Amino acid sequence: MARSRVITHPLSRRQILKGGSALGLGSAAALGLRPSWANPWGQSNVYSKGVEEGPEVALAIRRESIPIAGQQARPISINGTSPGPLIRLKEGQDAVLRVTNLLDEPTSIHWHGLILPPEMDGVPGVSFPGIAPGETFTYRFPVRQNGTYWYHSHSGLQEQLGHAGPLIIDAADREPFRYDREHVLLLTDWTFEEPTSVFRNLKTAEGYYNFQERTIADFFADVREKGFDATAEMRGMWAKMRMSSRDIADVTGSTYTYLLNGHSPEENWTALFKAGERVRLRVINGSAMSYFDMRIPGLKMTVVAADGQPVQPVPVDEFRIGVAETYDVLVAPEDDTAYTIFAEAMDRSGYARATLAPREGMAGEIPERRQIADRGMEAMAAHGMEGMADMAGMDHSNMQGMDDAGMAGMDHSSMSGMDHSGMAGMSDERSNMNANGMLAAGTAQPGSRYDQAGIGIDPSERRMLVYRDLKAFTPWPDRREPERELELHLTGNMERYIWSFDGKKFSEVTGPIHINKDERLRLILINDTMMEHPIHLHGMWMELENGQGELIPRKHTLNVKPGERVSALITADAEGSWAFHCHLLYHMDAGMFRVVKVS
Amino acid sequence: MRKTLLALALGLTTTAAFAGPGHGGSQPSVSDADIDRTIRFEAGDMWFDPERIEVAPGETIRFEITNVGNVEHEFVIGDAKAQEAHREMMRAMGGSHGDGHGGHGHGGHDMAEGEQGGEMPAVTIAPGETAELVWTAPQGVGDLEYACNIPGHYEAGMYGNFVRQG
Repeated sequence: MARSRVITHPLSRRQILKGGSALGLGSAAALGLRPSWANPWGQSNVYSKGVEEGPEVALAIRRESIPIAGQQARPISINGTSPGPLIRLKEGQDAVLRVTNLLDEPTSIHWHGLILPPEMDGVPGVSFPGIAPGETFTYRFPVRQNGTYWYHSHSGLQEQLGHAGPLIIDAADREPFRYDREHVLLLTDWTFEEPTSVFRNLKTAEGYYNFQERTIADFFADVREKGFDATAEMRGMWAKMRMSSRDIADVTGSTYTYLLNGHSPEENWTALFKAGERVRLRVINGSAMSYFDMRIPGLKMTVVAADGQPVQPVPVDEFRIGVAETYDVLVAPEDDTAYTIFAEAMDRSGYARATLAPREGMAGEIPERRQIADRGMEAMAAHGMEGMADMAGMDHSNMQGMDDAGMAGMDHSSMSGMDHSGMAGMSDERSNMNANGMLAAGTAQPGSRYDQAGIGIDPSERRMLVYRDLKAFTPWPDRREPERELELHLTGNMERYIWSFDGKKFSEVTGPIHINKDERLRLILINDTMMEHPIHLHGMWMELENGQGELIPRKHTLNVKPGERVSALITADAEGSWAFHCHLLYHMDAGMFRVVKVS
Repeated sequence: MRKTLLALALGLTTTAAFAGPGHGGSQPSVSDADIDRTIRFEAGDMWFDPERIEVAPGETIRFEITNVGNVEHEFVIGDAKAQEAHREMMRAMGGSHGDGHGGHGHGGHDMAEGEQGGEMPAVTIAPGETAELVWTAPQGVGDLEYACNIPGHYEAGMYGNFVRQG
């Protein structure tokens, strides 16, 4: 099963200079370093792009030639590597991070998921002016949390050029799980095109990167299966929405090479373990546009943290990780064999891959890739009842007809999604009102689909993590009921590539969203589009109201599925201006961005 | 293995009432004189402290386990296979034992079902509480582990090993 393979890894000048502290292949043992399993806390600094230990760290940002996937490339580097080195801090430290801009344009670093003073958040135009070429900016903040996070540029499209890296904060107290060894797995999507041309392509030609568009051949296949009328009707419906039912992602594997710790699937980055060890994998989705479904065939993964926050352990076979989310999972490989770490892009246009193995040079089998999903009826569930009426006469009687015709898109999972969002939710609503006439804190909104992983997943195939599973250990300190609800629609026009909140691009809004200092707010996000959006709030946690009552989990990034209505509680204790946006890089750049002002 | 189980204990406050109602009289009562050693330890989120206990076969031990964590835990003694079978069962039942205690695990004290219907000494401990379990180590004590099989807990590291003494 294991086949060996020889791969040459070009070491950067800096990696060689650092004398092996930055390892091309994560082979600490090979270089005679102290093995990670010798550490009682199970900590290891085995990360393929080097480690910068806090509290004082200096980072130099450059644009330079570094091969990626064996090809000539010009990424943005941080201390000579791209993606950047692992920054390791400790809870309780006062971090001092000096960032020197050696680019010929302004840059910035945002510490994703960290609770810190607003002027240290690193968003040009919101928190600070940015870092001009040749300048050094010193970030100083107390580290008041622990867990798995990441950092990235918040300037233009720089993040797409590899201006990102993992940020790990070691806990001051014992964490609610134990492990013998850890590995950081940073997922990114690399393109050899300039990000500006990717954006131009998206603006000028909808579906530019979507080679999975339905073709005339698909049309005739559908006609055979469903009959002409139903097929024509479906096509008409999608045309009217200015979308294709195969728009799963807007930038795809046709331009992206999916990387794990900066390495392509062919390079097969290897994470080492000894049979019988419990291994913590800190998984970070640091990609610009790509959601991944991660699994390790042959191993159960136990999810122990989400977005850096501990959750009650959930054993799963696979989990979907939205852009900017992080998950910590434990695995316990018993056999002295190679396991494939497989992160399939949600749109199935490619995958990132690494190997978990007892020795270098091993490889497990690569699982068969799943078929591209069709948004089909999921999109309908999405828009809820009012939306349905707008869509090409998709009323109930037509749906009945479609059912008879055996529509492929109308699978049971999406239908049950409709039930949950509509009917079942309604009765919950009445019984869970608080004194303000709002849903009680922690209650799932009608229209949420927290029990579903999303498009392209067959829940009967394997146990998939869903948002409903996430449950904190203890209630978060602020137990107040929400005083106010703030509702925002996620909106967009795929054809013109405009993405926005409430129909307004960032350039069209007049001022920030105002939140009163210390108020307890319920943020309701309603996705009116046909795509997933990972929504990120800076400066404050969002407590995802996934129905776990007072044990709802806190997150920094919430995935909102097409048509879904998602809510989170916010304690507005962080005075100042904060960014709030969709973490799909080109959506943010296209206008799906707001400033939130707490005062 | 059933032979090795002398008694299941109640909470600390009721140590005097050994073999009280609910034990069905099938287990003989144990007086303090029969206990060779008391081991106090902690169950947390998600660990046991200590993670390793040295025991001699035939030794009768009183475990006093305090749950210092935030969620319910159990303490089950058995070999790895039986523990795994018990985990499978709990997962299938959505985290409870389905033993008529209203989904609250073992309901304080119970036998956990292992492989082939074999029973394992077990006790469930609510957060902040202390529970007792009296148990005599069998000859094959070195093959046994103690674990919490509430879904995800074992996987997160909540188990420990018995090491045969002497």
